[in-house]
Parts: sequence; C-alpha cells; structure tokens
Amino acid sequence: MAARADNGPHIQTMQKNSVHDISPEIVLDFLQKTLPFNELDNDALKRLARQCIIDFYPKNTLIFKQDVTEVTHFHLIQKGGVKIYLKDEQGQVTLKDFRGEGEYFGALPIIQNTTANLNVETVEDTFCFLFHKEAFMELLQSAPKVTNYFLRSMSEKLVRTAYKELRQHRVSMRTEGSLYLFSAQVGAIVKGEPQTIDAEDTVQNAAIRMAQLHIGSLLVKDAGGEIVGIVTDKDMRNKVVAQGLDYQTKIKWIMAKPVQTIDSHAVCFDALLMMMSRRIHHLAIKKQGRITGVVTTHDIMVLQGTSPLYLFREILAQRRIEDLYQLSLKVPLVVRSLIEEGAKANNITRMITILSDQILDRLLTLMIEKMGAPPAKFCWILMGSEGRREQTFRTDQDNALILEIPEEPARRQNTLEYFKIFSDEVIEHLVHCGYPRCPGNIMASNDDLRKNLRGWKLAFDQWMISPDPQEVLNSTIFFDFRAGYGDATLAQELRKHLCAEAPRQEIFLTHLAKFCLNTRPPLSFFKNFIVEKNGEHKNRLNLKESGLVPFVDFARIMALKHGINETNTLGRLQLLHEHRHISQELYNETVEAYEFLMQLRLIHQLHMLEEGTPPHNYINPADLTDLEKKTLKEAFEVIRRIQSSLNQQFHLREI
Amino acid sequence: MEFRRFWPFAARNKTEEHPAFQRNHSWFASIDQGQPLESYNFVVFDTELTGLGRKDEIVSIGAVHVRDLKILAGETFHSFVRPHMITNATDSTLLHRITPEQLEHAPALKEVLPEFIEFCGPSLLVGHYISLDMGHINKATRKIFGTTIKNPCLDTMRLAQIYTETCWKQYQDQPNLQVSFNLADLSNDYGLPAFTQHDALQDSLQTAYLFIYLVKKFMSQGVVTLKDLFNAGQRWRKII
Repeated sequence: MAARADNGPHIQTMQKNSVHDISPEIVLDFLQKTLPFNELDNDALKRLARQCIIDFYPKNTLIFKQDVTEVTHFHLIQKGGVKIYLKDEQGQVTLKDFRGEGEYFGALPIIQNTTANLNVETVEDTFCFLFHKEAFMELLQSAPKVTNYFLRSMSEKLVRTAYKELRQHRVSMRTEGSLYLFSAQVGAIVKGEPQTIDAEDTVQNAAIRMAQLHIGSLLVKDAGGEIVGIVTDKDMRNKVVAQGLDYQTKIKWIMAKPVQTIDSHAVCFDALLMMMSRRIHHLAIKKQGRITGVVTTHDIMVLQGTSPLYLFREILAQRRIEDLYQLSLKVPLVVRSLIEEGAKANNITRMITILSDQILDRLLTLMIEKMGAPPAKFCWILMGSEGRREQTFRTDQDNALILEIPEEPARRQNTLEYFKIFSDEVIEHLVHCGYPRCPGNIMASNDDLRKNLRGWKLAFDQWMISPDPQEVLNSTIFFDFRAGYGDATLAQELRKHLCAEAPRQEIFLTHLAKFCLNTRPPLSFFKNFIVEKNGEHKNRLNLKESGLVPFVDFARIMALKHGINETNTLGRLQLLHEHRHISQELYNETVEAYEFLMQLRLIHQLHMLEEGTPPHNYINPADLTDLEKKTLKEAFEVIRRIQSSLNQQFHLREI
Repeated sequence: MEFRRFWPFAARNKTEEHPAFQRNHSWFASIDQGQPLESYNFVVFDTELTGLGRKDEIVSIGAVHVRDLKILAGETFHSFVRPHMITNATDSTLLHRITPEQLEHAPALKEVLPEFIEFCGPSLLVGHYISLDMGHINKATRKIFGTTIKNPCLDTMRLAQIYTETCWKQYQDQPNLQVSFNLADLSNDYGLPAFTQHDALQDSLQTAYLFIYLVKKFMSQGVVTLKDLFNAGQRWRKII
C-alpha cells in the first residue's frame, strides 16, 4: 500500500477492515505452488507477492532482445509460454529452450548485471509475474535455498555470460555443457605444483616470474614457507601500475590476503560459484590442509570443449590412464551438441561408440606399455550394446577375451597370469571412466570369459545345442560380440564359425523367436500406453525393455538365421533387406520405429544426466508432446508386425 | 446545481467541498486523449452490492493500479462498507461470502469514498460494466458530499465486445450471438488465468487482467492512443 502512505488517518480503518493483508491471492497462491518460492516462509512470500507486477505479452512478442534489452525484471510465467533462442552474427538461430507455466527467465542477466543474454519470445499469449531486479536480488540474499536453486538450474547460462570474453576465443562451439562442471573435482583439473614467491620479494620480480611462467597469479609465502596471500595480474594493474607504485615495492604490501581456498574435492561448479560471488578469478586448492595448486576461471572454461574431434584428439594425446577418466566423462557433452545439431540417434550412438572405442584403445595401449608386451596373441571382445555399436550413456561393461594359450605349461601359466592381472586392472580403469561393472559379471575379469578360440567355439556350440531356455536367454548378448582391441582375426574367426553354425540350429533359433514374442508391445487394446503399475517407476514406460529390445532381438535372430556377420541392429536390418530376407515395407517401418525409440531414449537420458540423476530407461508418457506420443504408439505398432513376421517364419503359434 | 432539489440535506456540505473532490475535479478539468495508452495510469475497480437494484448499496470496494499497462499487484485497495440498511447486508451474504459481522464493523461510505478517491488519484477508472459501479458511487458521493467524481472511465465489457467483433471481421465468421460477456466467461474464453476466490478485490484483479489483455490486443491491431481506443468504441456502436 505504498501509494497510500501519505493517507495517514485512513490507514488504520483500512487495515482493520481488510480481509487479507492486501497480498494478492492470485500471486501468493501461484508462488506457493512454484519452485523454489514454495521454500520461502509465509512472510517472505507475502512481501514478495506485494512487489509483483503482472504483465501481458501477446503471442510472438519479443520480450528480451539478445545483447540489447536492459533486463530490469525477473519474469515468472504465470500462463502461456516462451521460446528462448540465440542468434549469432550470421543471423543463425539456435533454439535453446521452451519455458512454460511456473518457469522463469531473466534471472541471469540480473545476477550478472548485463543485458539480455538470449532472445525471449512468446509462443502463446503469455502472462508473467515480474519482480524488479532489486526485489529479486534481495530475495537471493535473504534465502539461500532460493539462491542455490537459481544458480544450479542455470549454470549453463551462468557460464556463458560470465565468461563471455573467454567464449569468444572458442567461437566454434555453440553449446557449453553444464554437466562436467558438476562432476569434475577442482583437484583433478589442476596441473602441477603451485607457483610461489616470497612476501619480501619485489613486485617487479613477481611480474617477471609470472611472465616467464605464462601465468596470471602467484601464491605468496612468508619466511616460514606458509602461504599468506596471492598476487594476480589484476593486482599488478590496479595496485601497482595504476597507483604509480615503485617496482621495488614488496609483494607483501600489495598481495590479497588471506588466500581464498576451496577443498580439492569440491566440484568445479562450486568453485565457479565461489569465484563469482566473491568476484575473484583465482582460488587456491586445499588438500588435507595443504595448498596444492591454483584454479582459475580459465581452467574451468577450458573444461567446456565439446567438439567430438577435439575430444578424440585429447583421448589420443593422453599419456596416463588416470587422465582418461575425466575425458570419458565429457562424452555426454559431445552428444548434447550433436543432438542440438540435429544428428540422428544412430549416428550419435556410433559417435559414442567411436569415442568409447578410442578410450578403450588408449587405455589398453597404455596398459600394455605399463605391463610389458603380452606373452600371446589376444583379442579384447565387446558384447551387448557395445558389440552392436549402440552405446548410450553409462553403458554397463560387457567384455571378454579370446587368447592364444600356449601348450607348454610354464608359458601357459605365464600367459594366464598376465591376462588375469591385465583384465582385472582394465576393468577397474573402465569403471573409473564411467562404465559400470556388468551386474551379470560378463567381463574379462571373470575367469570363465578368458578362453582360447577353440574354447569359445565350444561355448557357442553348447549354447546353441543346449535346449535350456534360461541358458538361451542369458547367452543372447554374446552373439553380438565384435573385436574391441588386439588381434581382430581371432574375433573374425569366431564369427565365421558362428555364421556357419547358427543357421542350422533351428531349435535354438525357435527358442530365441519365442522369447521375442514374449515381449508384448506396451499398447492396450484401446491403444493407450501400458505403463508400469507399481514400484519406483509407477506410471512409466520402460523404453528399453518394451520398446528397443524387441527390435534388437528381431534383428539378431534374423541375422543368425541367415548367417549375417554384422552386429549393429540397423546394419543387420539393412543386410537382411538387401538379401531379401525382409520386405521393403517391414524394413522401412522397423528402421523408422527403432530410430525414433533410440532418439527418444537418448534425449531422455541426456536430460536426466543434466539434472544430475543417473540415466534410466523409464519415461512418463504424460511428459511427451502429442506428436511424440503418436509416433511412439506407431513405433509400438511395428513391434506387433515384427512379431507376426517371426510367427510366420518360425511357424510359431500365437502365444 | 440541480441535484439540490432532490437532496436537500446535501446542501450543508456544498459550501466546503471535500478536498479529495477538489483535487479530483482539478485533475480532470481537461484531459489530453492523444497520448500513448501506456502513458496513462489506470485504476481497475469493482464494487459489490447488496443486490442488483437501484436501491441496493455498496458493501465492498476493491481496486488495483495499472501503470505502464502492467498490473501492480501490491498497490491494491480493499474495504468493506457498512450499509445503512443492515437487512440488505444479510441478503448479500450468500452472494459474496461476507459475514454480517464484517459489515457491522466496517467504516461507512462517508469514510471509505474519500480514501478510494485518494487511492485512484489522477488515474483513469476501468471496470467491467463500469456504468453500474460508477452509478452507485456517484449516487453516494452526490448524497454525502454533494458532488461526483470526474475520472474518465473505460468499460472492459465494451472493449471485449469491440474486440470480439474485430475478431469476427478478421475470420469473416458470422457473429456468434450466444457469446457471454460475463467476466468469468470472457476470462475463460480468452484463456486468462483462472481466479478461484471472488470478492471485490479479486474481481478487480481479474478485470485488470482482462483490461491489459484487451488493450495490448488492440495495440497489436494499430491502436496507439487513448483517443484511438475511444474511437474504436464509437465505430462499433455505429455498426450495431
């Protein structure tokens, strides 16, 4: 009621008779339902509601113009929706996001005190709650939970504007991933010991030293070797040159103290937050009470490289296995940019596979350098989705070894021991690279999964001849093997054997076909989605089990039946089609449906990764757009068609 | 002035006009209609009455400021009013969820009206079917203070009729004569945020939503000044 403050004598009567404290209910009710405002206590909420300004923007209104609009208000969408996009110098538009009811925009430019960093345009008639930037900043300062929410949820944008200058040196990249910021620890990105200078030394010597080392800061230590402060480029500029100080001035008079430190286990994002909130560019890293290095805003920015080629080269350049760990975590960033550029799921999974293969290649090469040349020929084989070149994020390990095991006992013993240690260590490193252990222990570290070629041939024959259904089910992923590293001829030899044998094993193939028919497409009679009824994933649809698996199974069975040596699902389908084992129509439908399901899963998982949850395969149909739902239903319809095709081929009856 | 014949008691107040009204009259002695719409200040208000008849009385007034065509959700006004006929008040209980106690302890119109006028200041007034509200307010001010308030008024119901008509013209449809111009129905038809509570303040806010929605829609059709908006109304009346 600020407008009425001069209205002294009447205010009392007014308040006495007001039904509510003049906090507009429509604003209050909305804020109470909206993250993160629902975290606020009632009084804070009421204060905020009273500062609310309600505005209306007809459809297609450009609310913020990138680099032009002075952002004076935080905008919370009450009704309607906006699209957020970037326009580069060439006028090329990159769509960033759609925001709808309960979502916001304009927070970042306010925090950064810059002009709008992106274009915001309404896609429908839109009502927004506006809060003046002062009110918004006040809120951030008084409510840490709210602050945290905003900073975390917009880290990507945070990085973009805060480090705009740095971005300009990396023009080629259009996306910055926020993901890595949340996983990489500051301790891990710092290279080398901290550079120091004595407190009693001169500013000139400090400047000379910084120039020689090409660095922007030095830690300052006292006579006892204790770190007491830091001196940076900026100090040289602002405190020495600009003030006209003598170059012989002692460092201790101009250094910043105490040094701002961060624990080496803190993630880069927290370091970034700390630097931004204190408006500094350097942080000393503390490990067990000792300062072990300095991290700069630039170091963190460099983490953001997302070009696949860049990553590929980086992997190749690594000299230490441990350095591969961090690079491997960058794979999702590459995927993100590929998705944004419109790549199809098949290309994306192939790209992930290439990068994973590259990591594996580098890892095993370094391992061999470390352990010495292997005593015998070997081939590291990959199975499951790795074998099919269909990896997404966080694919479990599925691997094994084909060895040439010498006859002579001493050499035989030596070989077996070498590969036992080799496998154990490689599996461990792969876990650190972000490939979790296989829950079914299908890994080269399993003693049963290191065999010579003859042993493997026997194993496959056993599976195919064995009529035990459980055995058949468990063995399917082995049939998708391919060479990962080492002597590929060993794997080729095994495949050749399989291609010759499998088509004759009718009982085995019929078993496989029956399993494929066991999966019912998740469509009820009325063509609604059938979702999980209970448990953690209630009301969700398992995209992998009920969507992708039937396609993979179908392609595998058909490939085995027709002696096709390809392992990739789309590759198998193509060869099957070329050899006229499946019709043009079925081929087209299957490929389209499978690609759509893969794409959906990838985007879904990427989204989860960016939200910081481990990716899974469950989606909620309610989260999909109408078009996506429709396409998804059509994709599930195709499963029925491949099943009836299997029925015919294997003379199975409807189960 | 003519009204004195009908309200002989009012003559006592006439000699010294209430300062709120003096200011009010000086503000609106002349008004420039040629300015862009966003440069005017508006107060959107709503009154609740004991009933719909001419003899019914105001039991509450709610209002909200609109500046730069944005609703200032914190700059609101709300007051109950003690009616002269308390029997009337009980009738309205069901309609407005106002308890008789709330009205018994409420100030009289004599106190509330100057405050409301102060709250409005030099703003233009906006309401849904505003002639009804203004009729009651000016009937009361005339009776109590011997004068009326002179704020120019805009009617969102009329604006909605004009808007609906221009939409028909665009789509070359036959006018749908069944369309309802009731506040809640219009809000629903236009897809405005839904209001669950209803009192004079909430209704004034809902009217404010409707107002900025319509004005901005008109602006995207080429309306710039206040005069343009008045003219749009004139044209429409001719067509009817």
